[in-house]
Amino acid sequence: MIAERDFIPAEDIIKASVSSKLLIPFFQSYVQAGFPSPADNYLERVCDLNDLCVTNAEATYFVRVTSDSMFDDRIEAGDVLVVDASRDPVEGKIVVASLNGDHTVKRIHYSRDGVVLLPANNKYKPISVKAGDDFRVLGVVTYVIHKPM
Amino acid sequence: MIALVDANNFYVSCERSFKPALEGRPVIVLSNNDGNVVARSPEAKAIGIKMGQPFFEVEELISEHNIAVFSSNYTLYGDMSARIMSTLGRFVEEVEVYSIDEAFLNLKGYESVYPDLVALAQQIRATIAQWQRIPVSIGIAPTKTLAKIANWYVKRQPAHNGVLLLSDPVDIEARLQEFDVKELWGIGHRYTSLLKRNGIKTAWQLRQCPDDWVRQHMTVNGLRLVYELRGTPCKMLELEPAPKKAICTATSFGHLVPDLKNMTEALTTYVARAAEKLRRQHSAAGVMTVFLHTNRYRRSPNGEPAKQYYNSRTVQLPHPSASTPELVGYAQAALTSIFQPGYLYQKVGVILTGLVPDSYIQKSFFQADPSEDLLKLTRIVDKLNRRYGRDKVRLAGQGFSPTWPMKQKYLSRCYTTRWSDILQAD
Repeated sequence: MIAERDFIPAEDIIKASVSSKLLIPFFQSYVQAGFPSPADNYLERVCDLNDLCVTNAEATYFVRVTSDSMFDDRIEAGDVLVVDASRDPVEGKIVVASLNGDHTVKRIHYSRDGVVLLPANNKYKPISVKAGDDFRVLGVVTYVIHKPM
Repeated sequence: MIALVDANNFYVSCERSFKPALEGRPVIVLSNNDGNVVARSPEAKAIGIKMGQPFFEVEELISEHNIAVFSSNYTLYGDMSARIMSTLGRFVEEVEVYSIDEAFLNLKGYESVYPDLVALAQQIRATIAQWQRIPVSIGIAPTKTLAKIANWYVKRQPAHNGVLLLSDPVDIEARLQEFDVKELWGIGHRYTSLLKRNGIKTAWQLRQCPDDWVRQHMTVNGLRLVYELRGTPCKMLELEPAPKKAICTATSFGHLVPDLKNMTEALTTYVARAAEKLRRQHSAAGVMTVFLHTNRYRRSPNGEPAKQYYNSRTVQLPHPSASTPELVGYAQAALTSIFQPGYLYQKVGVILTGLVPDSYIQKSFFQADPSEDLLKLTRIVDKLNRRYGRDKVRLAGQGFSPTWPMKQKYLSRCYTTRWSDILQAD
């Protein structure tokens, strides 16, 4: 496989999580009238949205929502989900899972009869994962990026 | 101990990582320009599709066997590779990225942290399976060469469950005795036939050869290999990638190109890209080779092999250079001198060699020095292109609506690097 190596332009190897950093200066002390704090001479650090939303870059994927099935959980069509594949999909978490080849975002519930995917919109019905279904969890939704109207 | 972590059918696994419906289906990935098969799922191997087979030969099997076909998506594979390598770095300090889908791990010193190396390897496999959804095989042994061999067995014997530890001398002997020398790491056709002529068929027999004989016939590199087979590490982990000694940019055209104008535009783009790479590794090139060739597989309408032409031209530059306009000037002159009208060309490319650090450019006595202004300009162009996208600022000679880009008919999405391409969920 080593021969293939040279055919990957290095500039094509970009990590989704760190490719575009939004740097916003962050000030240590609040603005005060009167004598300014000497600490303001030192910008402590800059805030990076990735630090907030992406805790595990190697296992983080972005997923776009295409339906309103999770509307009551404030996830709307067009939103971008930050999905962490390294977190365990424990009871009650909102997850992105693939069911028979299609990806879906739902709340996961472990019932006595097996896994149930719960929508958050009464227009949609819960989905019970049946024996023989190809079901796997991609990861747990850790943040929702929503653009207000 | 050293572990070799190797992703199974890596390109196929990357495609499956984002399309679970491909699980169980035969999948193939094609080379640049959709020319040949470069990766196959086990199901595709079972159908009889060969590695490197031209795509047109297997095209009729596609619908018959419901094979999923992909153009190579190096953007996706590169990012998934980087994620896997970085994940490996969570387990051990020293990770040598050996290729896009292979890495050596130095396990020395971790005995107290990980008393059970097989359990560690299984944990690595489980992590990568969950985080990147890519299956990997892991071979563990006292040397890199033996780790390679262990990995070879893991890939072919499912009973190992993805991990094989080779440390017991009796076990190592048994494995080497059934291991064909031609599969050994670093043994090419030439050494294979040399060894077979001398009755050496297995890795075990090679291991037993006297040092003098090996050194005499296979140089010191062969001797290193033999030591490695005996369990003495001779190949250390290379943790800092060495700067490339040569840079080559060439891709096949999407369709055959007959004219000098299109060829020049393509070459100019490749030179620009190669020069960008040069500057990124802070090198300058002293020698440039331009080559072109027609399509080897093509046949004339009468069924005879089509008229073929291959030529190349090597130019010794008056001074090492990393400036795009300067390199382009030489490249275009070289191309014009070897271009022959009347052929349909499949490929043109440039190879830059004689690389030196750019801080150490020897000045030429009789020639003008490389223009500092031009170099400064190209650095600014690099910066602009990094920010605004590839080729946003370019030489006019690169053309504006190229008719020669790669054929990538079956390209998947860049799920991890482009906002417009991310996964969707309903």
